[in-house]
Amino acid sequence: MRLLIIEDEKKTAAHLKKGLSENGFTVDVAYDGSEGSQLACAGAYALIVLDVMLPRQDGWAILGELRRAGVMTPVLFLTARDRVEDRVKGLEMGADDYLVKPYAFSEFLARVRTILRRGSTAQQEVLRIADLEIDTRRHKATRAGCNLHLTRREFVLLSCLARSAGEVVSRTRIVEEVWDINFDTGTNIVEATMRRLRAKVDDPFEKPLIHNVRGIGYVLESR
Amino acid sequence: MFAALAMCLNPVESEATAARGQRRPWSLVARLAVFYTLGTTALLLVTMVVLYGVVVRYNDANDNLFLNDKLRAVRADLAVKKANQGELLAEEVASETSDYFVRVLDRRTGKVLAESLEMGKRLSPSVFPAPSPDGHIPEQGTEYKTPAGKWFLLMSALAEIDRMMPRPVVLQIGQDRSDDKAFADFFRNLLLTVLVGGAGCSAAVAVLVARRALRPLEQMVAAMKRVQASYLQQRLDRDRWPKELDSMAAAFDEMLARLKESFERLSAFSADLAHELRTPIQNLRGEAEVALTRTRTAEEYREVIELSIEEYQGLASMIDNLLFVARAENAETPLNRLTFKIGPEIDTILDFYDAAAREQNIALTRQGDADLYADATLVRRALSNLVSNALQHTSAGGQVRLAVKQANGSVEIQAQDSGCGIGPEHLPRIFNRFYRADAARSSNSGGVGLGLAIVKSIMDLHGGSVTAESKPGEGTMITLRFIRQEPVPQNDQHSRDSKPPA
Repeated sequence: MRLLIIEDEKKTAAHLKKGLSENGFTVDVAYDGSEGSQLACAGAYALIVLDVMLPRQDGWAILGELRRAGVMTPVLFLTARDRVEDRVKGLEMGADDYLVKPYAFSEFLARVRTILRRGSTAQQEVLRIADLEIDTRRHKATRAGCNLHLTRREFVLLSCLARSAGEVVSRTRIVEEVWDINFDTGTNIVEATMRRLRAKVDDPFEKPLIHNVRGIGYVLESR
Repeated sequence: MFAALAMCLNPVESEATAARGQRRPWSLVARLAVFYTLGTTALLLVTMVVLYGVVVRYNDANDNLFLNDKLRAVRADLAVKKANQGELLAEEVASETSDYFVRVLDRRTGKVLAESLEMGKRLSPSVFPAPSPDGHIPEQGTEYKTPAGKWFLLMSALAEIDRMMPRPVVLQIGQDRSDDKAFADFFRNLLLTVLVGGAGCSAAVAVLVARRALRPLEQMVAAMKRVQASYLQQRLDRDRWPKELDSMAAAFDEMLARLKESFERLSAFSADLAHELRTPIQNLRGEAEVALTRTRTAEEYREVIELSIEEYQGLASMIDNLLFVARAENAETPLNRLTFKIGPEIDTILDFYDAAAREQNIALTRQGDADLYADATLVRRALSNLVSNALQHTSAGGQVRLAVKQANGSVEIQAQDSGCGIGPEHLPRIFNRFYRADAARSSNSGGVGLGLAIVKSIMDLHGGSVTAESKPGEGTMITLRFIRQEPVPQNDQHSRDSKPPA
């Protein structure tokens, strides 16, 4: 899948390109607005990653130009400005998502994947990872045929990991999806809950499925 | 209209708006002088109109009375004279110096029987009013201006000559009023001169007095100009000023005191911030430099990177929190107020901390519930910081209790822990940014001393308050007090709609 990054800060562009390439995307980079809008109009990109603060022409102007030209490629905004008005403006102008610097790369990747996936896959009712089976409708999880007695919150947490199986899910995202807490909680409180979940999902079995990615978050996969 | 009102209330701003073509309000001196002058002039005018009226009227009445008397006397005279008597009006006609004229007309033929000297040249019989047919002598004469420009007061009446053989006649009498008229004109002009002169004098006096009265304002401006950011201890001092300006001086001094405090807080904050940044930067730098001093295994490099990610996260969250507090201080954070039950929100937060509390063997409980009209996200953030703080300072086997209480007009949320407590010397400052009661604890607890500052910011945004009570060794209780406010339904709907995804 082909992505376009429009970002004047070379270091940022470089690490985004590297990270996305390593995750199986083909990435083009434009370092200013005019080059960016030319590329965007010409090439068939699945997603445009757009920095708001660009020299000469800012991200909003570029987005407006693209939309007027009929280019409906999804756009993910990156910005250091996180005032509510800025967010609202970005989304009103037709951006698909909005990420405030500094952000975790895992978070960025997850948002990219979410936008690309949007509307294409229906929620699966039963998620399977190795011998783990999660029935989201009946709120039941089993591993190797054994019923895992999970609390409601533990079940939501496991489903959250399972829906993004194979991808690192950041702590921030977990806190947001499981507890609907969308502010910085400061401490690594999730770890304690995760330990309790692993005690039920992994400890009784030979191969662990939940892995800690230090400093970033957790991943559910069969290694 | 509002612009004009605002200009009156805010003269400083009006200078700016004047430049944009709007009318500038009058100066105070001009205002005082104009109102004072108008007042004195009006008073003078009223006095003079009354005076003029009285004098002129008195003159008129005198003249009328004189003519009336004269008519009466002449009529009585005629009644005892003979019709053919040659000197019918001997006394009146003879007197040349008299300033009045008398004439006797035959009533039927209109022929002049007798008249004063020179009367025919000045007053022809036709200019006189017709006599009253019932023989009545008028109280009020008629004014007449001769072609030569002289003013006369005229009266006429019926009379009879010779009571034995009556012959009906008409008596005409006229008085030269030119002197009276001239006096009235002179008097009016005199009064007008006095009026204009008086108004001019009072305007001059008013300007002088107003300037003098407003001189303290100029002195006050001079004193204010001496105030600078680097010299905030300058004060206007009370008692030096007239009573009216005293409260302004006091308000200005209070403003200076607040500014001084803000400046001091700001510079202390900058120093704290620099200090707080040093530690994580030093960690990052140290780890990276040590890692590069020799070749290491991939595993070792990985560990360095993982450690640095943790530091970065700490820095990022510090920036987030600082921005939050800064914006809340400037009231830039919009509140999405809703009415909701606080109980379930507390339960969500307790659930979030449940696993951590169990590991530490601390009991987390909640009591009570209430409706709250507030920003739910911000309230949860405040609660989360309180619980997190309480867990950090409570040792195993302890408890953290949250209680919701409704008091008259307010809702209180109390967070009580059985932790180590806070010393009384720290208590007033725990809500300051970067303040930590125990400096050595900071690295363990993970926070940088912004949690309670955020709680305070959130309460300030809601117009509520936060207080702390503590007994060292027994625990701390922090109370959030929300003043009950009426929800505004439309507002809620609007802010809900425009709420961006987090």
